[in-house]
Amino acid sequence: MVSSRVIRNLKKEFRGSGLAKLGLALVVLITLTAVFAPFVAPHDPTEQQLDQSELPPVGFSETTERTTSQMVDGEIQTVTEEVEITADPDHVFGTDGLGRDMFSRVVYGARTSLVVGVLGTLLAASIGVPVGLLAGYHRGRVDDALMRIADVSLAFPSLVLAVALIGLWGRAAVDVPDPFVVAGLAPGMPESFVLPITVVLVVGLVNWVWFARVARGEALSLRGQEYVKASRALGADDNAIILRHVLPNAVTPIIVLGTVQVAAIILLESSLSFLGFSGTTLSWGFDISQGRDYVSSGQWWIASIPGLAIMLSVIGINLLGDWLRDALDPGIEGEGGAA
Amino acid sequence: MSFGRFALKRSLQGVGVVWGVITVVFALRFVTPGSAINAVAPLDASQETRAAIAAELGLDQPLYVQYGQYVFNLLQGDMGRSYIKGQEVTTLVFERLPATVELAVAASVVAIALAIPLGVVSATNRNEPVDYGATLLSLGGISTPNFWLGIMLILIFAVEFDVFNTSGRGVDVGDVALSVVNAEPFVGTLLAWLAYITLPAIALGTYFMALITRLTRSGMLDELSKGYVQAARAKGLPRTLIRYKHALRNTLIPVITVLGLQLGTLIGGAVITEAVFSWPGLGTLVIESINQRDWPALQGSLIVIGTSFVLVNILVDVVYAYLDPEVVND
Repeated sequence: MVSSRVIRNLKKEFRGSGLAKLGLALVVLITLTAVFAPFVAPHDPTEQQLDQSELPPVGFSETTERTTSQMVDGEIQTVTEEVEITADPDHVFGTDGLGRDMFSRVVYGARTSLVVGVLGTLLAASIGVPVGLLAGYHRGRVDDALMRIADVSLAFPSLVLAVALIGLWGRAAVDVPDPFVVAGLAPGMPESFVLPITVVLVVGLVNWVWFARVARGEALSLRGQEYVKASRALGADDNAIILRHVLPNAVTPIIVLGTVQVAAIILLESSLSFLGFSGTTLSWGFDISQGRDYVSSGQWWIASIPGLAIMLSVIGINLLGDWLRDALDPGIEGEGGAA
Repeated sequence: MSFGRFALKRSLQGVGVVWGVITVVFALRFVTPGSAINAVAPLDASQETRAAIAAELGLDQPLYVQYGQYVFNLLQGDMGRSYIKGQEVTTLVFERLPATVELAVAASVVAIALAIPLGVVSATNRNEPVDYGATLLSLGGISTPNFWLGIMLILIFAVEFDVFNTSGRGVDVGDVALSVVNAEPFVGTLLAWLAYITLPAIALGTYFMALITRLTRSGMLDELSKGYVQAARAKGLPRTLIRYKHALRNTLIPVITVLGLQLGTLIGGAVITEAVFSWPGLGTLVIESINQRDWPALQGSLIVIGTSFVLVNILVDVVYAYLDPEVVND
């Protein structure tokens, strides 16, 4: 478990590494943004102001040619005119095609990404860790069966399996009331957060096998340790040994994997919403898919900005993962946990 | 165990996994009962019509009969008929497969060709600017969603500079080879091929480039600190020989295994890259089939994807065992 040596290592690695500091800063920033979204966002992210659509981000005011078609004397004529589009300081990141504030959408998108990332990882770990520990500890038939299931599971790419399952199960979502808005602290903001529950379920089911593999490996090596053998000789119950001796010693690699998995699931979630397989429209991936239609007409920011948000979050979490790995266990290889 | 026995054992295991893949795919259809009928029947179909459709699709049979029939048909290469497109699924899938393989191979070639030198340079110049640069680049690479990267590439190279095509496949790689045989303008065909494949290959390959760079770098650092390298150095062997013949070779063996396991990520990435670039491969077929509730086409695609993964991993393990005979006795 967390001993003083572990904490000392964490501090030592942290002090020595600028990247670890950057990672922690990014993760703290994104977490705070997600939690306090109603206060950070200047506008309701779903509010459409059609007269303010396609405004560029601050600093990117531009003149563009706009072509419009008009009926003149019963014939369709296309008119090309120079239009000055000025950025509005009220919309720092500009607005999308429906006049929604991009900054507010990016802020609220952090909620979706983080909540799905964390819940999905917890679900995957809560399936994978017990299964892996039991299989690795008992070996034999349970273990063989697990390894075959893992092989079959790995044969399907996470994204493909997730898309197939969501296609079959539908895109269910639940409305979770936003406590800040309910308490009247953030008037004008959406009253509830849309949790894409099928996505959480599916990413958990698709990624449990990584946890099972790591937990199994740890249990395999720990079951031969003297203290485990001693407990067994003293007549301790197998499940008690797993809980008291195996699990605490397997926690470190599981935490490191968990961190990487949050990043992988955020990427997976964004891919799913990009493809339209999510239950929410407040998501970075969804905004990128919307922005894609504007790429050829010059509104580059609608697709670019949400992608930068994904990239910064995932970089932050990956840096945090690298730091934990270096500090907690230099022996862990950096493989696995794919999106 | 001999190498031959190892290869045989691994292949038999693979057959078991493929059987598992088929069973899972068969079971998927029953996660949502009735959906197969709903996909074909008109909304206002009478009970009789629905029953007739069920009978035609064999859905009125007991489950084990359906399963037996399904596996039996599969063994003969029959994956049923697409509900929507009306074609044989086998034909459909194998029409699309080459495009995906082409994209995946192109992406891997780009990734490996850049990543291994970068990883080696990074490791041999530890804590130098080039190492920091490579580290940041690979960190960015594993953290960037490939579909977004694809759109950004379209934005820059197709919209702003208009150098590449952004949609579809144009000529396939076979045409490029054939142009030599048919005495057609080779360079022209090659350029036409590159115009279509370059952007999707970069979009898909970047993640792997980053991953392989990281693996090569840490593997090289690990190998270079080992006793045999010091011994070789003490013997006065040239530095390049030690680095490339000894250390790099030992580094690449585990890299190959990880790449085999990551093949799923490559195919998953191909699905979404194909969606961005309208690349007519298996990925677009998967998405189309799901959106149109075309279960036979979806099942066929999933089986081919799963089976390819298993085959490539058997190949990887066998190559690995050949390179590192210790594995055989593990």
